[in-house]
Order: sequence, then C-alpha cells, then structure tokens
Amino acid sequence: MAKDYLGEFEELVLTMVAALQEDAYGAAIAEEIETRLKREVNLSAVHVTLYRLEDKGYLKSKMGGGTQERGGRRKRIYTITNAGLAMLKAMKEARLDLWKLVPQLKIVSV
Amino acid sequence: MSNPKPASALRFLKWFCPEHLHEEIEGDLIQKFHRDVQAYGERKAKRRLTWNVIRFFRPGIILRNQTKLSLTAFYMITNYFKVASRIMIRNKAYSFINISGLALGMTGAILLFLWIAHEFSYEQFHADKHRIYKAWNRALENGQVNCWDTTPRILAPTLEEEFSPVEAAISYARWDSKHLFTVGETRLLKTSGVFTDPALLTIFSFPLLEGNPAKALESPNSIVLTESFARQLFGSREAFGEAVTVSQSGHSFEFTVSGILKDLPSNTDFNFEYLIPFSFLESLGEKNTFWGNNSVATFVKMKEGTDLISFDEQVKGIVKKHYADGQHIEIFLYPLTKMRLYSRFENGVQAGGRIEIIRMLGILGVCLIAIACINFINLSTARAQRRSKEVAVRKVTGAFRHSLVMQFLCESALVALGAGVLSLFAVYLVLPFFNVLVQQQLVLDFGNITFWAAALGFVLLTGLLAGGYPALYLSSFRPVGILKGALVSSANRNTLRTLLVVFQFGFAVMLIISVIVVRKQIDFVQNRESGYVKDNLVYIPLTGDLGKNYPTFKNELLQAGIAVSVTKTSAPITEQWSSTGGIQWSGKNPEDRTDFERIYMDDHPSATFGLTILKGRDFDLQQFANDSTGVLLNETALKVMGFENPIGEIIKDNRMEWHVIGVMKDFVFTSPFQKIEPIVLFGGTKLRNAFNEIYIKLNPENTVQENLAMLSGLSKKYNPDYPFEYHFADVEYARKFANLEATLTITTVFTSIAIFIACLGLLGLSTYLIEARVKEIGIRKVLGGSVLSIMKLLSMSSLKPIFIAIIVFSPATWFAMNWWLNSFAYRVSLSTWTFFMAGIVLIAVALITISIQTYRAANANPVDSLRNE
Repeated sequence: MAKDYLGEFEELVLTMVAALQEDAYGAAIAEEIETRLKREVNLSAVHVTLYRLEDKGYLKSKMGGGTQERGGRRKRIYTITNAGLAMLKAMKEARLDLWKLVPQLKIVSV
Repeated sequence: MSNPKPASALRFLKWFCPEHLHEEIEGDLIQKFHRDVQAYGERKAKRRLTWNVIRFFRPGIILRNQTKLSLTAFYMITNYFKVASRIMIRNKAYSFINISGLALGMTGAILLFLWIAHEFSYEQFHADKHRIYKAWNRALENGQVNCWDTTPRILAPTLEEEFSPVEAAISYARWDSKHLFTVGETRLLKTSGVFTDPALLTIFSFPLLEGNPAKALESPNSIVLTESFARQLFGSREAFGEAVTVSQSGHSFEFTVSGILKDLPSNTDFNFEYLIPFSFLESLGEKNTFWGNNSVATFVKMKEGTDLISFDEQVKGIVKKHYADGQHIEIFLYPLTKMRLYSRFENGVQAGGRIEIIRMLGILGVCLIAIACINFINLSTARAQRRSKEVAVRKVTGAFRHSLVMQFLCESALVALGAGVLSLFAVYLVLPFFNVLVQQQLVLDFGNITFWAAALGFVLLTGLLAGGYPALYLSSFRPVGILKGALVSSANRNTLRTLLVVFQFGFAVMLIISVIVVRKQIDFVQNRESGYVKDNLVYIPLTGDLGKNYPTFKNELLQAGIAVSVTKTSAPITEQWSSTGGIQWSGKNPEDRTDFERIYMDDHPSATFGLTILKGRDFDLQQFANDSTGVLLNETALKVMGFENPIGEIIKDNRMEWHVIGVMKDFVFTSPFQKIEPIVLFGGTKLRNAFNEIYIKLNPENTVQENLAMLSGLSKKYNPDYPFEYHFADVEYARKFANLEATLTITTVFTSIAIFIACLGLLGLSTYLIEARVKEIGIRKVLGGSVLSIMKLLSMSSLKPIFIAIIVFSPATWFAMNWWLNSFAYRVSLSTWTFFMAGIVLIAVALITISIQTYRAANANPVDSLRNE
C-alpha cells in the first residue's frame, strides 16, 4: 500500500473494469465514463492506462469476440485481479477514513 | 456497416502500433468511428478518427513495441563486429596497414581541422559581433584603388557625432611605445599597451573582473590591466584602485587601476595587456584632429537594425568633407567577424586573405583522409577473391544483400574506430608540438559533448567513405559462379585501383614539389644581398635618461673602444615605422601619390650600417650643422623623383623643407621578401622625440661578450631606471624567415605523412598483386625468365600509376606554386628541374617500398608455386 498508488484516472478505469465485468474493453470503458460521468475522455488515454494497470498486475486480459461494428476486429476483454480488487478496496477505505475526519457540515447554498 | 473509413489514418496506426495491440485498438477506433457517424455525421466522424489515431501516437503505445525488434538488430550487429574482429586478427599485416594508414591520415586531418575550427572561432565570442565594424579607407592612388585599415584619430568622434545609426565608435592604437611600469620595487618594461576610448569595454565582450565597463576608462589617468599583467605588477596584492607609475621618454605619470580585464582569449586578434584612454594623451597636448594622419584603427558599433549598405553610402564622403587634401579617400565599414579571414583587398575589391590558407589546409586534411581511405578500398577490392567464397556461402544460406553490406560496413567501421582511437591518442601527444609550430593555442576539448559527437561522426564518416564501395562490390558476387570455382573478374577493378593510386601519388607529388619550392625560396631570399652589414650590429631602445645623456653615452662608447660608430634612428630598420604619400618635390606630377618609407637618423648612418653612398655624402652634424634638415635618398626614391642632379634639391614633408645631401645604394628595408621601396632618410635631430633606437656598430676587435658586458655597464650608468635590453640586427633579420621556416616544417611533416600512407598502400597492394600472379611467375621462371626480368615486370606494373601521377599532377602543381610565389615580391623562379627531382624522389621511395616483395617473389622456387593446383 505504501509503495503502490493509483492515480485518479487509473482508479476510475480500474473501477469501470470491475463494474463492466464481461464487457470491459477500451472503447466500452471510454463510452461508459463519458455517459455516466459526463466527462470527455480520450480513447488512447484509456488504452494506455489499461496497459499500465495490466503491467502492475491489477488487471488481466484475454482476446474476446469481434463484431461487425468493429469491422470484425476482436476486443481485448479485461478482468480485475484479486490484487486489483484489494487495491480498490484499500483506496476506498482510506478515502472514507479521511472523509470521517472532515467536520460534517451541511452544504449551504449561497 | 459500410461507411468508408479514412484508410490513411489506419495505415499510420499500423505503422507505429505494436503488433500485439494493433487489432483491439483498431477495433475500438472503428467502433468509435461508427458511433460518431451516427452522432455527428460522416465528415466530422472522419476527422475525429484521424485525430484519435494521432493521439495514439504516444510513448505509452509506441514504446511497447521496441524491445523485440531492437534485440534482433543488436544481436546481428554484435555478430558482425565479432566476425570483423576475427577477420582482422587473422590478417594481421593487412589490418596493420589499414589501421595505421588510416590512423596517420586521421591524425593529420584532426590537427588541421582543429586549427581550422580555431581560425573560424576568431572574434565570434563578442555578444554583438554582427553590429561591430572596422573602418577602412579606400583611395584611388596612381591609377589603383588601395585599401587600408588605419584611420585618423578624429574619425571615431566624428562618426559618433555626425551619424545617428552609430551607437559607439572608438579609436584603437597599438603603437608599441615603450612604457616603464613602476609599482613599489617592481619595474616592468612593456610595449603591449593600447590607447583607446572608454567605449572599447562596452563594444567588445572583454569582461572586466573588477571595475565598471562603462566608467573604467573615463578619467584621463585611469588604466585597465589584464589579470595576468596585474599579477606581474602587484603579485598577490589587490591591484584594483591602486596607483601605478608609467614612464615614457623620461616623463612619468601616475595612473589609477580602474579595471582588471579577464585575460584575452586565444581566438582574438586583439592583443594588449593594458588600456590607456586617449583622453590622457589629449590632456597632455592638443587633440590630434588632422585628417591626414592615419595612425589608429577605428571600430564602430551600429545601432540594432541598421542597414549597412545605405549607411556606407552616407559615411563614404566623411573624409572628403573634412579634409581638403583627402578628396580621393572614402571610408567604408567592414565586419569585425571577417577581419581575421577576409581582410585582403585587391584594387578595392575583397580578394580573400587568410581564408585562402585555411582553404588549402582544409583540402590538405581531406586529401590525407582520402589517401588513407584509398588504401582501404584498394586492399579490400584486391582481396575480393579471398572473401568471395564467404560471401557466396552466406548468400546461399539466405543472407540478404543489405545484411552483407551491413557486415562489410561494420568491418570498415571497426577499422575506422580503431584508427580513430589511435589518432586521438596521437593528436593528444603531438598537439603541444603542433601548437608551437603553427603558433596557435589549440586544445582537445575532452569535456565537450559536441567534440565527442564530432569525433564519432568523423570516424563513422571515414568508415563509410572507406568501406562504402568495397561493401557494395563484395556483396554483389553471384554465389552460383563462385561456388562452381569461377574467378572474380577484376579487369575494371584494376582500372579503378590504378586511378585511385594515381590520385594518391599525384597528391604526394604536389606535396613534395611544394616542399622543394618552399626550401628553394628560403635559400634564395637568405642569399639576397641585404645592402647593409649586419655583423656586430646591435640596437638598444632609447629609453629613460638615455635621451638626455646620449652625447656622453655615445662619446664613452667610442672612447672605450666598444663601438666603431653609433647612430640614433626612429625605428629598427627591420620594422616599418612610418610612410607617406605626401612628399613634395619640384617637378612632381600632382597625381603621383607614391608611398615613401620615412625614417629618421642622426650622424653617420652609412658608417654604422655599412651603407654605400653613391652620390654626395653621409650625415655629419659636427661639420655641417644644417644636415639636421638634410635627407638621403635611396636609388629607388631617386628614380621616383627623377632628379638629374639630386644634391641640393629641396623636398617638402610635413610642412618642412629638406635638402638632399646624398644618394645611397638600395638596401633591404623591413622584410627581405619585399621589393625595395623608395626610402627617404631624414636627419631628424630638430624634431622632438623623433628617435627611438640607438644602433651601435660594435668593435670587432673585442669579443661580443666583452662588448655586451661593457655596453650593459654603460647602460646602467646612464639609464639606471630601465633594464638593459638589446637586439642583434642579424637575429632580427633572420626572424623574418620564421614564418616561412614554419611553413616549410608543416609541409614537410604532412608530405611525409602523405607519402608514408601512400607507400603503405602500395606495399599492401603489391603484395596481393604478386600473390595473384604467383603461378605466372612460376611459369615464366620455368620457361627461363631471369630474376631481374621478373623483378622488372613486377615493379613496372606497380610503378606505372606513379609515372602517370607525376605527369598528370605536375602542371597543376606548377600553377599552385606560381600562385604561392606571387605573394612574394622577391622570389625564386620555378624550374623544370624541381619537378624532375620530385619525380625521382617519389619513384625511388616507391621502388624501395616494393623491392623486397618483388625480389622475394622473383627468387622463389617455381616448384613451390606450381606443385599444387
């Protein structure tokens, strides 16, 4: 935990892989982030992050099927590893612990 | 889905994308494209796809494919080098010839290139170098446009005043006057001072270690010293702000050190140890505002963005405007950065300068490399037969031609690398000697990354140059024929080899001839009749109290029997001191502006110098008091003036009238290489400060040591403040040859290198040629050929290219040498003998080189060569 650390975008992509399960591949993840978070993402950034997470051992991948929409090209389907899941949990808990330190004031609209 | 995709973008993706990632990325991109078509329409979707592909061109993607590819290439290159080093070790003699020849050539070339780079770096360090100019004069004189770079002192202030584009202008005068510096007990006599204006320190980038560049030379009694001169004067004490006494011609002045300059770099033509402001000189007497007195250099810094062409138009008439007698003189500005290499003008037009020498050096360097590369090419192609089987087998087992080319290039790169390392060592060792020879301060800048890049580039380029052709040739063999036992045909290779050898030896011929010509020129000038007697002639500077004590000093010299004759002069007669085109005489053509050398002397110059008086008599003030306004002419001056009966004629110079009392025979003034200029010898005793040297003809009955000891004693007695300094006239005369002697040494060294390399190549080549003809020799011997006839046969085939070289390259050398000799007014004429001699020398060297080989081959027992098939 001390050594490894995930960037904000890495954490986001990792969470998406965990959430999308069998349908977790580059374009789908990018699209999901765009529709759910209303956030413009760059396809190449998603790919690079996926490769990096795989290098770190938080993801593993295998080639899946192709569709006509993809011009017959196969997808690379990612699944989260146990290490990745543990990492996500640890980060979430750390975030919660910190959140508890913040005085719980109401957000007053100005 | 049949929407057309931009194919070029996807091709680009395929080119850079790692193989194993390509499919899914492309799939994702196509999927995105189709969705974009629905969302935004086809045109926008296409643009987005292209943009997305470009965004994949990032290190996170590209770097994922490097490892696999580079490893294969790496293994192959290691293998090439391994094979290459094995082949080199197996053929030791061959490798030795190649590496040592190349190393020698590279050493020579690196030395020359270092020198050239240094020459080009002159004055490049000034921050505003592109705005700094030197003022030159251009004048029509006797039908010719002359250009010179000394200007009136008044020019710089006038430029600043009258022309708004001028940011600053300064006068710069290095007059070599003798200044005695006194600080406490330390006394130093220096001539390396410059009178200038305060702006010098802001125009040029000569940084001050202490002091304010804008103010350092503002007060008339301020002086700026260089760091090392300050250390000589003050030792380890602080010099800045201290007082120093400077004495000249018996007068002493107090100065305050107002700045310490960092020592000047080696790549500048500026050369001074201390700076004194002109305002000091002007505080002593009146300002020099005479436009006819060209005695200082003028440097100008223009404002940013000035158009020089239009400015030159404006500045042209400045002399005409201010000086009635200078209607023919124009001023123009010449860039500082060109001052070193491009400062020769011929008839008013830029005509090269030092750059011509630099170009020659560049050609010499390239030729040295070429000669060494030719060795490599010749030996590699001559050995083609040996490598042919290897090439064939490699090709049969599937080698591509380009990988064979690569392999041979690696071999030559390895040879070049070995040679390069050796030559760097060699350069490091000989650089100190080379620096003395060429009078430069060149350094190998090992800490500089550009230096290493240049060195590596140089080595690889040499490798490519040497190995390029052999690699293409060797890799072109057809394996079928060779494996069946056919020989590599070498007929046209022979022509190529012959041509290359012709070039090598042609270059050697040129160098040998130039060495002989330079040697002859030196001998010729050394044997020139100088017209005066240099033995036992010394001169000492007229400094300090010597001016006041001169009459007693001279008397005592004569009385004590140290001297036979003593004469004061304005300058050493081996140095030009002053010249003028303004002398007037009756019957002078008003258009005539012939330059006369001006020199002042007092009593008995002909006795002291051993000059021959042809008409009239010598100066003798004891008997004829009005000799103080008398002049002696030399024969050339008499011819220019055209007097029928010169004695008693009146000439005018500097608004004074002089009368001719005699004519002397021509003698060599300043340099023995120049033609005799018209000289007017003035009896200048009435002028203030006209004299700077005392010439003393020593008594030949004493030994030189005795004379000098006594002279030194007298000098201490009459001039106690100054250290005793003397010069021998014959030594100073011989010094004129130093430059040429250096040229001779340089050419001799490079000639030896070139010949040595060429002979190395010849040795290697003849070895292989003999090897190829071993059966022929055997058969000839069996059929009764004698040893001598076989030796003749073998030698002739090796010497043929050398004969051709001598015949083809001699005329070119003739022109080159004529051009060089033309720079001397007094020169030897070229004779065909020189060329004949050079040819004989070269052939002799070549014969000696190959004789052992041919002798051994001709003497071998034919049984050995014919026994096995």
